[in-house]
Amino acid sequence: MKKLTISSDAPGERLFMLGNEAIARGAIEAGVQLAAAYPGTPSSEILETIASVAKELDIYAEWSTNEKVAFEVALAASLCGLRAMASMKHVGVNVAHDPLMSASYIGARGGLVLLTADDPWAWSSQIEQDSRYIAEQGYLPILEPSSVEEAKNMMADAFALSEEFGHPFIVRSVTRIGHARSDVTLGEISKERRKGFFKKDRSRLVLTPAEARKDRPLMIKRFEEIGKRVNTLPYNQLKLADGAKLSVIASGLSYSYAQEAIEWLGLEDKISVLKIGTPHPLPKELVVKLLSSVPEALVVEELEPFVELHVKAIAQEANISTKIHGKDLLPVMGELSTSKVTEAIAQLTNSKLPVNFGEIEKLREETAPLLPLRPPTLCPGCPHRASLYAIKTAAKRVAKDYGKDVVPIYPGDIGCYSLGYIPPLESNDITICMGAGFGLANGFAHATDVPIIAHLGDSTFFHAGIPPLINAVYNKANITMVVLDNSATAMTGFQPHPGTGYTATGEETVQLKPEDIARACGVKFVEVIDPFDLKMATNTIEKAIRFNGPSLIVSRRLCAIIELREKRERREKVIPYHIDQDKCSEKCEACIKLLGCPAIIKEDGKTVIDSSLCTGCGLCAQICPYKAIVQE
Amino acid sequence: MIKELNILISGVGGQGVILMSELLGNSAVKDGVRIRGSELLGMAVRGGSVFSTIRMGSDVYGPLTPLGKCDILVGMEPSEALRNITYLSKSSLIILNTAIIVPFTVPLGQSKYPSLEVVQEKLESASGKIVKLDANQIARGTGNLLTANIVMLGALFGTELLPIKIETIKESITERFPDKLVPVNIKAFDLGYQTCQQALK
Repeated sequence: MKKLTISSDAPGERLFMLGNEAIARGAIEAGVQLAAAYPGTPSSEILETIASVAKELDIYAEWSTNEKVAFEVALAASLCGLRAMASMKHVGVNVAHDPLMSASYIGARGGLVLLTADDPWAWSSQIEQDSRYIAEQGYLPILEPSSVEEAKNMMADAFALSEEFGHPFIVRSVTRIGHARSDVTLGEISKERRKGFFKKDRSRLVLTPAEARKDRPLMIKRFEEIGKRVNTLPYNQLKLADGAKLSVIASGLSYSYAQEAIEWLGLEDKISVLKIGTPHPLPKELVVKLLSSVPEALVVEELEPFVELHVKAIAQEANISTKIHGKDLLPVMGELSTSKVTEAIAQLTNSKLPVNFGEIEKLREETAPLLPLRPPTLCPGCPHRASLYAIKTAAKRVAKDYGKDVVPIYPGDIGCYSLGYIPPLESNDITICMGAGFGLANGFAHATDVPIIAHLGDSTFFHAGIPPLINAVYNKANITMVVLDNSATAMTGFQPHPGTGYTATGEETVQLKPEDIARACGVKFVEVIDPFDLKMATNTIEKAIRFNGPSLIVSRRLCAIIELREKRERREKVIPYHIDQDKCSEKCEACIKLLGCPAIIKEDGKTVIDSSLCTGCGLCAQICPYKAIVQE
Repeated sequence: MIKELNILISGVGGQGVILMSELLGNSAVKDGVRIRGSELLGMAVRGGSVFSTIRMGSDVYGPLTPLGKCDILVGMEPSEALRNITYLSKSSLIILNTAIIVPFTVPLGQSKYPSLEVVQEKLESASGKIVKLDANQIARGTGNLLTANIVMLGALFGTELLPIKIETIKESITERFPDKLVPVNIKAFDLGYQTCQQALK
């Protein structure tokens, strides 16, 4: 039998998939013809999966420079009649927010789906954020799957629904959907390939005030129609239990936790359940039917009380006095779990808990002090470590000339280098969102009188770093901007970007260089450095900081993980460093205390290098005051 | 079909935890077993803690194992096994790789690594049974240290608690690795399997 893959047209067969692969598969089954995205955990594998089969299935797939562009690319394709999608993480939707709100006014032609990957507990994000509020703000229907398999099916259906109503649809994934795994039954792959044709309709598509005022009531009407339809969609299911005193309303993934909790408590026949797959708009008829049948209800959902507040509003309108619980018993923060939902239901039903959660909590508290801290950190051989060390060394030299006690400010950004904020590097004073390192630097320059050295990565530079760079030139902000160019979007899995010379589907393309862009934008001090030549790098950064006016440094070195991979392919040996114990002063520990490289460890009181981790970058050898670190 | 079997694999980024989950998942699907799971991707690559849940059976819906409901904890590293102690119950079985990985925060003086005795004592008191093996040592014996995760996978099958056939998991291993790496991984699997069987006798 031929091995099953993501592109196999084998309806009925089962395949073990990552949630993001299932989402991609859903789009493929629906006949998506264009997919655009910007990488961001937990969404990146969606476009990666589509790109990997794009040529074979005649799909256009691209990594866009940012989420706003990705959504605009998808919107245009939809207006040409193609099924199109954009995928991004929750905070990426903020970047795409502007065109998204307008898209709702003008509507869709070919099915248009925005996939947002929310990240409760912010496992790999700057913040938690509930995309359902963005959907509500824009009259955008949002589908929320309860499992990996449903994510695939919803994704496929979202295209059809979008076409049926001529309106963009959002599908909301969360970390435990996108990064969950499950067996999934494959559906048929649509072979339909449409030829794009842009039907001009200026009175609808040119959003001048006069036209927007005409579009708005049409948008509201479309949304009302969708509101009626959701009552019969299979994703919303009402199961009434005879004589139930409690009902559970569970949205998206929370439904799976609720289902398990109810079974764990043995209350299957005693609780009515409404499974919600469309939190916006809610299936009003089903909500009313449920609430009129029970005196008490518990709304189970992750993050904000979105469904809860709407259910309360529906109850008020329908004159139903059912007591509605939600965030009074479940946390607004972090992910839900079967355990948390079990506790809430047990409380409302006076049931005995299946396990003693109090004891488990006690065990957790007892164990916590024993555990060593193991935060994610910059890899051994990561060029960012060298760049960040050089930035701080240079900045401290300059700060001395500014005056006693002058402390430079280091605005940082989103990417692996964010990890430098912890000791010993402490190289990053503020990180809020993509591109903000340069943006904040502009403000700091006008608000303080200290050296300002901001850094961001190459992919981040192309994403949102260029407008604040231009701002610095235009408004004469005396700042130093450092692009940490490791030729990769490393944090999210090494996706290509405009600086790599390759597209999402592996085609060669123009390779853009941050230094060329900076020069073209009017930056007068632009230099490229190799961070592993530490002395030269530090001296050049010092010159940049001393330069009067905005300056830009490109610190260029390939990501250590890619470098190791390529060396392995070339069958090139990695030559690690080791510490000559005769020269090493045990108490010095400068290498450990200044760099925090995971390859430098203590063994029986001695400082040694773990040769299985060392990549041979040589940074530690350059800072060792005893010249005790040598290559083997 | 079994109703519910909750496996938890914990370790450190780079130990091959995700690969183990993939092998288990592909094998479960081949043998017609319903499977759910989840793991932490992304930040975990950078040397952080990694945690993967694999759940099999007809009564499993959510991707995460509830607290106190883990049947088998596969601890790839002692302190990382301890980190997940709240998932255990008196009927849990632990398979523990005794080879430790000290995080960079220890030489920096930001935290301490607990003694192996304390870790084992804690885990023993919270579970039903513990099988200890030095998977790194066994892997080194096969000539390839990178097979430590497959040693542990073999040990997991050595419990004879999984609803997956040995031939099926070996088929998945064979499909997953390049031809020249298949024999060493099968050897690692067998050694892990035998070690666990002996320990359980």
